[in-house]
Amino acid sequence: MKAHSLLKGLVGAAFLIGAAVSAHAADTLATVKAAGTLKVGTETAFAPFDYIDAGEHTGLNVDLFAEIGKELGVKIEWVALPWDGVFPALEAGKFDVVAGPATITKKRLERYRFTPPIAEATIAILKKAGDATISKPEDIAGKKIGVGKATAQLDQLKEFSETLPTKVDVREYPAFTESYADLAAGRIAGVANSLPNIAFVASQRKGTFEVVLPPFGKKSYFGFIGLKDADHAPLMDAIDAAMLKIKADGRMAELQKKWFGASFDTPDAVKDPAF
Amino acid sequence: MSIKLFELLLQAAIYTVTISVVSILIGFAIAVIVSAMLLSRQRLLALQARIFISFFRGVPLLVQLLLIYNLLPAIGLNVPSIVAAIIGLSLCTAAYQAENLRGGFSSVPAGLVESAEMVGMTPVQIFRRIKAPIALRLTFPALVNEAILILKASSLVSVVGVIELTRMAQDLAGSTFLPLEIFASAGLIYLVINWIVALAGGLIERSLPGVPR
Repeated sequence: MKAHSLLKGLVGAAFLIGAAVSAHAADTLATVKAAGTLKVGTETAFAPFDYIDAGEHTGLNVDLFAEIGKELGVKIEWVALPWDGVFPALEAGKFDVVAGPATITKKRLERYRFTPPIAEATIAILKKAGDATISKPEDIAGKKIGVGKATAQLDQLKEFSETLPTKVDVREYPAFTESYADLAAGRIAGVANSLPNIAFVASQRKGTFEVVLPPFGKKSYFGFIGLKDADHAPLMDAIDAAMLKIKADGRMAELQKKWFGASFDTPDAVKDPAF
Repeated sequence: MSIKLFELLLQAAIYTVTISVVSILIGFAIAVIVSAMLLSRQRLLALQARIFISFFRGVPLLVQLLLIYNLLPAIGLNVPSIVAAIIGLSLCTAAYQAENLRGGFSSVPAGLVESAEMVGMTPVQIFRRIKAPIALRLTFPALVNEAILILKASSLVSVVGVIELTRMAQDLAGSTFLPLEIFASAGLIYLVINWIVALAGGLIERSLPGVPR
């Protein structure tokens, strides 16, 4: 009897939650425009896209979203979370879009919608300056390599590791900055991250780090992430349009030059990523 | 380490202190209600209080914070990061403080209460003059202890997007590659804050009524 009424209560609660969720369904573009603010979730430990420079949130994303905000006529509000918390919070509606950026992958495309790519994301290795034991990507066999937890780089590193005679000793970090610190301290032999990221880190710390070329794995791209549902479609369409305009008039290339030292060609959309 | 970096840590420490103080105060208010429910003769009220305490004392604070931040939107309450952090810390500390208060009130000697009844004091008078001062005196050291625990536990709220002292130290260590200096400074700041709390607690405790000098 008691168990029965408890069950009834639970079912009732579930219905209430369901009703509350559907009652909240609304066109997010209209909501964002009405509030005058676009909420952007990100992790502030992914230089040069998003990072803290002496206390100031800065990077390519900050500049690019400032332009997107101008195009949409709204202000940008940033919410900084640890990377593995970003996707759950996006689904919970804590913000409208994720800056990240994230590598566009098949698995993610099934669940999320990506903006036009903002940079190439092909993976490469960062090593300590002067480390002669690593001169090509294959040399990381059997070595301790740091990589971000819940990242596409982790998947690519594991895949690459399978092709080597001895597997890589993969060390997962909550944020890439912590792996760079461990690399500088000599606790790991290298960090696997996308080329634009490690090229930036190496250029900031010339005596400390070096990039191991060439990049390995399959060619991939970075995009911003939004939800796929009908509520978010108008907002994501508007962001896509703004970004394509920013790309067409050369502002995107200018920002790439500012943050990566070079601009590069990216497709307008990635429909069928390599992995 | 530059002065600028230390200033940034201090600014983040203000966040840490504000969130902690607000949470302790809200938590105390909730704890007073919950402990009253616990001591109530109505069994349903006492049961609800027990469930509240079991949950917020039994689930790790980190999980509570993530639940509050990510699950509340499902019932239409999409609270900002700072609010989620304060709700999480307040409810968690309320559970512990309620247990402390219950312990304090049940330690009031029955003989004292009976004597008060004998001389004709009303229940309200007994509460104000006998029960409350003794219980407060008994629970005060635990309250100071709880305040220090919450100040340290506030380092967890960065998982819901609040940049407090620990998170700022991590960000700065990541961008400056000076982890030793920055974490040592952050540790020192925590130490000074908690030392002040302990010192102030000791002073207040000595001024409470019924304290042997």
